Amino acid sequence: MPVKNSVHVLVFSGILAMVCAILLYAVTQFTEPLRKINEETDKDRNFLSALGVPIPKNVKPRELLNIFEKNVKIKKIGKITIYEYIPETSKSGKPIAIAVPFSGPGFWAPIKGVLAFEPDLLTIRGIRFYQQEETPGLGGEIASKWFQDEFKGKKIVSKNGEPGFRIVKSGGKSKKANDTNAVDAITGATRTSERVERMLDKVAKELYKERKNYVR
Amino acid sequence: MSDSAVGLATGSGTTKPNKKKYLETFLGGVYNTNPVTVQVLGICIFLAVTIRVQNAIVMGLALIVVLTGTNLFVSLLRAYIPRRIRMIVEVAIIATFVIILDQLLRAYYWEMSKQLGPYVALIITNCIVMGRAEAFAMQNPPLISMVDGAANGIGYLWILVAVSLVRELIGSGTILGYTILSTSWYERNILFLLAPGAFITGGLLIWVINAINLSTNKEDAK
Amino acid sequence: MNPTPVLTIFVASIFTNNILLASFLGLCSFIVVSNRIETAIGLGVAVTFVMVFTTAINYGVYYYILVPFHLDFLSYIVFIAVIAAFVQFLEMFIERFSPTLYYALGIFLPLITVNCAILGAVLFMVIRKYNFIQTVGFGFGSGLGWALAILLMAGLRKKMGYSNIPEALKGPGIILIVTGVIAMTFIGFTGILNLQ
Repeated sequence: MPVKNSVHVLVFSGILAMVCAILLYAVTQFTEPLRKINEETDKDRNFLSALGVPIPKNVKPRELLNIFEKNVKIKKIGKITIYEYIPETSKSGKPIAIAVPFSGPGFWAPIKGVLAFEPDLLTIRGIRFYQQEETPGLGGEIASKWFQDEFKGKKIVSKNGEPGFRIVKSGGKSKKANDTNAVDAITGATRTSERVERMLDKVAKELYKERKNYVR
Repeated sequence: MSDSAVGLATGSGTTKPNKKKYLETFLGGVYNTNPVTVQVLGICIFLAVTIRVQNAIVMGLALIVVLTGTNLFVSLLRAYIPRRIRMIVEVAIIATFVIILDQLLRAYYWEMSKQLGPYVALIITNCIVMGRAEAFAMQNPPLISMVDGAANGIGYLWILVAVSLVRELIGSGTILGYTILSTSWYERNILFLLAPGAFITGGLLIWVINAINLSTNKEDAK
Repeated sequence: MNPTPVLTIFVASIFTNNILLASFLGLCSFIVVSNRIETAIGLGVAVTFVMVFTTAINYGVYYYILVPFHLDFLSYIVFIAVIAAFVQFLEMFIERFSPTLYYALGIFLPLITVNCAILGAVLFMVIRKYNFIQTVGFGFGSGLGWALAILLMAGLRKKMGYSNIPEALKGPGIILIVTGVIAMTFIGFTGILNLQ
């Protein structure tokens, strides 16, 4: 009997839809606070990591926010926002590392990252790319440890005193980028490397201009 | 009024399966009718997620949960699901499980959620889950359906881990993040982390398993 | 806001970031269907058509209904429902206007619904924050890319019919390996995008 059939379908679908919706709503509400903190602390975690702030292994997101607030001071020099790492235990109150965020268009989507400097605001102690959608294995390697390690000790000014930053495409035998303000590009990731170079060069030049206004 | 007249899609799963059937079902999912190597399903996720062993393990476990859960609920409801909207109901149940899983992952295991990206959501369209729900859970009682779901999940998991061990080791020189082949002397073979490596490793694994099966079949036939 | 130009997205999704060869989506139907060129073409066109429209429609649904009403936790279900509904309509449409095509495609039409490439394209559209024009370009390009891959495979399988393949390698084994080689060649396209 077709009518009984249709009623059956409607009733069943209705009940199923309601049960699923309620269940999903419940789980979403329950996980919301944690999810929000995760998304917000993503950026913080990278800043802390670049600055070298010690983070306990399985830190809870709330603790992370705490650590961030206790150790990091946000300042502005000129147009640039900087993040000073002044350890809680520091007696002098002077920062031991300073982070400067940067961003720009990547090949597929916007790239966001942070550069960490020594207190001289000249020498790089670390870099993190915390948002990128580049091709995994190629451009996506900018987020890998080996690429980011190359930045340690590099400066934002060349041997000849020119401010800026280069990502060098090395062809042939000479694999190492020689200058103080250059790293090797990622093989096979030309487009991503070009874009990253552009945004790093920009922030390097801007920072070099403003650093004389920086008072510790 | 018979079930088929009202349009219900029930199977003949009213006889209680015995212990042997349970074992058969379990072995089937894990090896004999392995979802990847035999049924050739779920290839999409399999290739994307095997870049790192860790990702493979998490995805495999996720699949076990979704498969077991879906099979359980589809089986419980099988007497009531109207035949016409059978597939939609299956998808709805699967989608609900997957969304819950995705939310929990985002809350409790954020880094993994970012690494797996859209592939968690793609479990919904993963042919294995839909396939088992349709082919098994609709026709069988809940308990053995759960076994079937779990078995297929385990079958999927071990294949994922096997391929990811190869890909991560050759492609990054690491396993589970620990450096095995140090970059100081080992030139990482990035091709294995990219698409070609996935396809080729997968194809080779299927070859090996089929070859093993064929030779054991030949021996049985002698 | 995603600053990538539409043309780049379009060309890239066919060649360098082919949704099948680079993102691994849509493989199940690919493996089954690529054995005959006619069905491959038919399915390729159908998938492209569905992809363009479902990404566009889901764009509207996501940004104008789900997000404003805080219902984005239902995203996945809604997306797949839209896809299923669209494919259903398409099926009825084809059955009415071209019964021959309908019988040729057979079971494959409803299978487009669970083709991970379709849902995958929608998900990528959301993740990469494309606007509407970019979405359409992406959907169209992805569909064409998928169709291209399946067509290549169908042609190659026809040739492979004359090859001496070991028993254990026949079927999915050799298909995957050949796909891997095709994927390698597509990586060679990485240099062609010199726009901007």
